[in-house]
Amino acid sequence: MNVNLQIVGCSHHQSNVSVREKLAFTPQQVAPFLKAYYDQFPQSEAVLLSTCNRTEFYVAGKEPSLLPSQDEMISLLAAERGLKIGDIEQGLFSYRDREAIRHLFFVTASLDSMVIGETQILAQVKQAYQLAVESNQSIPLTHHVFQSAIRVARRVSNETDLHSTRVSVPSVAIGVLAKQIFERLDNKKILILGAGDMAEETLRYVVDEGGRDVVVINRTTATAEKLAAKFNGRVVPWSDLQRALVAADLIISTTGATEPVVTSALFEVVERARGEKPLFILDLAVPRDFESEIGDRTNVYLYTLDDLQRECERNMQSRKSHLAKAELILEQETDSFLVDAARRSSGATIAQLKLQADEVKEVELKRLMNKLDLTPAQRQEIEYSFNRLVNKILHPPLKSLQEDTGESHHGLLDALKRLFQLGD
Amino acid sequence: MDSLNKISITCFAASYFVALILELSRLLTKAEPFASPWRRALKIGFVSAGLFAHSVYLVLHGGVSLNVQGIWLGNWFTWCLATSWLLGAAYLWMAIRKHESGVGLFLLPLMLVLIWIGLQFGNANQFTASNARTAWNMIHGASLLLGTAMVTLGCTFGIVYLIQAKRLKQKTISSGAFRLPSLEWLQQSSERSLLVSTILMGMGLISGIAINQVPGDGQMGVGVIAWSNPVIWTSGVLFLWLLVATLFNLFYRPARQGRKVAYLVMASFLFLVLELAIVWWVGHAT
Repeated sequence: MNVNLQIVGCSHHQSNVSVREKLAFTPQQVAPFLKAYYDQFPQSEAVLLSTCNRTEFYVAGKEPSLLPSQDEMISLLAAERGLKIGDIEQGLFSYRDREAIRHLFFVTASLDSMVIGETQILAQVKQAYQLAVESNQSIPLTHHVFQSAIRVARRVSNETDLHSTRVSVPSVAIGVLAKQIFERLDNKKILILGAGDMAEETLRYVVDEGGRDVVVINRTTATAEKLAAKFNGRVVPWSDLQRALVAADLIISTTGATEPVVTSALFEVVERARGEKPLFILDLAVPRDFESEIGDRTNVYLYTLDDLQRECERNMQSRKSHLAKAELILEQETDSFLVDAARRSSGATIAQLKLQADEVKEVELKRLMNKLDLTPAQRQEIEYSFNRLVNKILHPPLKSLQEDTGESHHGLLDALKRLFQLGD
Repeated sequence: MDSLNKISITCFAASYFVALILELSRLLTKAEPFASPWRRALKIGFVSAGLFAHSVYLVLHGGVSLNVQGIWLGNWFTWCLATSWLLGAAYLWMAIRKHESGVGLFLLPLMLVLIWIGLQFGNANQFTASNARTAWNMIHGASLLLGTAMVTLGCTFGIVYLIQAKRLKQKTISSGAFRLPSLEWLQQSSERSLLVSTILMGMGLISGIAINQVPGDGQMGVGVIAWSNPVIWTSGVLFLWLLVATLFNLFYRPARQGRKVAYLVMASFLFLVLELAIVWWVGHAT
């Protein structure tokens, strides 16, 4: 199976956000684009991967002649997004064959991501492949490449610690710290102060970890209701803040207040009513919502944005230390994929060559046997000799073909076909 | 059977020591060959092997006998080894259920220390109680043994709680850092061990009084041990402490929270050590 893979695309490495947003596709826009592509190049296969950090257009075919040129790929992208080629050309990259496969493996394993080791990209690659299948049921070449990329990404994840550390503030706060304090979150009272983006993102992690009893307090009730509705939470008026603080096990505070919302004096009253129940406070607001003295109390664990960002930076450094091992795996897997593809592509030719040699051998054997009067043992000995002769003649060219997995492989295969007059 | 007879203290002590090294390796590196799944499997393997050898040794050499009447302990040496075995079983359960709990770092040294203390006593000086195998004797010995293990376990949870709370306060916990169980789990485990140890110690005390009061077919009977004997009143004080601590914990809400539970179980352990020292000093049960 010949895999001629070609990519044209843009990513956060080469293009700024103004180019990326022009080329971004929603999942609903992918199908019309692929349909337009297949109208022009029906004998090839295509996958479009579009995330906020990249848009990559993959095409594959059995022969290079069946694929569009890089210029044609760029003009297809530009036409679909209503752009001029000149507007986007500078910010695009392109890869072919080995480099293209290597690039896909690196992207899927999240080594090409803006936040190295983030896990979202694997799901996005799977979704891109799924959308491609919905547009064309028969894509054996891209199936093989993308399934290999997904398998390799899992291998990197299993064999390195690249994905084990968290690098965003909410994921560190909930995925690392909350788990050190609470065994489970489903029976905990979670209080959200403020209803902005940070509150929503953190709440998403809380819910993922099992948190259910969510109370939102915000000075603007409408915003609080909107956030609470997304997570089946309740809204409590701002006037009930003290009561909510008494009941809470975990507080996530993200208000935009310019002065501390919870002062030491207020918390002293709250603490008396809490009965020294442990409390985990995530003060993600700038300026801070909780006075820092509150964190000195025995059963209060107060973490600010600065505390969490330090941890995120440490984790990012830790991820980088695992890069070398991940890169080695990806390079090995790229080579292994190419060797496998070469074997698959030469398999049919080798079988054809052996069949052709066997036919010649059988004809000559039959002719010889008809002329000679031989005992069964002598006939058998001659048959063995003919078999050995054919095998010895074919062995060197076949060995060379199997061992050559480099760029000259296709040339060698073509030469063999022409020399022995083998059909496609 | 011959090969089982050859099992020595070195066999299981060495297994526990290797498990301890594996626990310590978590502090140093997450890299191969001590990556999590391998280390966990090795740890469970070594502790299981150690517990098997430990069990065989206790039965064949330690003076522990199992029969239709129950379980019997031979002497102080067996007492220490049996307590160590119970802690080992608790550790194995945690290693299987609570992956990478880190409690082994505290339990395994305790187990090794108990084995060492047992060796200092020597495998002699049989408990005279073994000559009077009544149901009361069995309940007395077994409940005090289990109670001792539970108090020790509770103390371990308390210490780990304080360490974990300190790490969280000082903000030294990171994703790649050595992991300990959550504060909530440690608090609940401390509370449970306090409750169970109170019940067991209570059973031990009541059965001890029964042995002292009810005439048996051996040497024990009414007034064998005087009520003024330090063993009697220190046992009473220990039980009273555990009872008050448990009731305090059950009915006074702030006592259930955080560090107070840890302090209660640690104080209980100190009481227990004092009690055992007095029991040994006056030669009770030998």
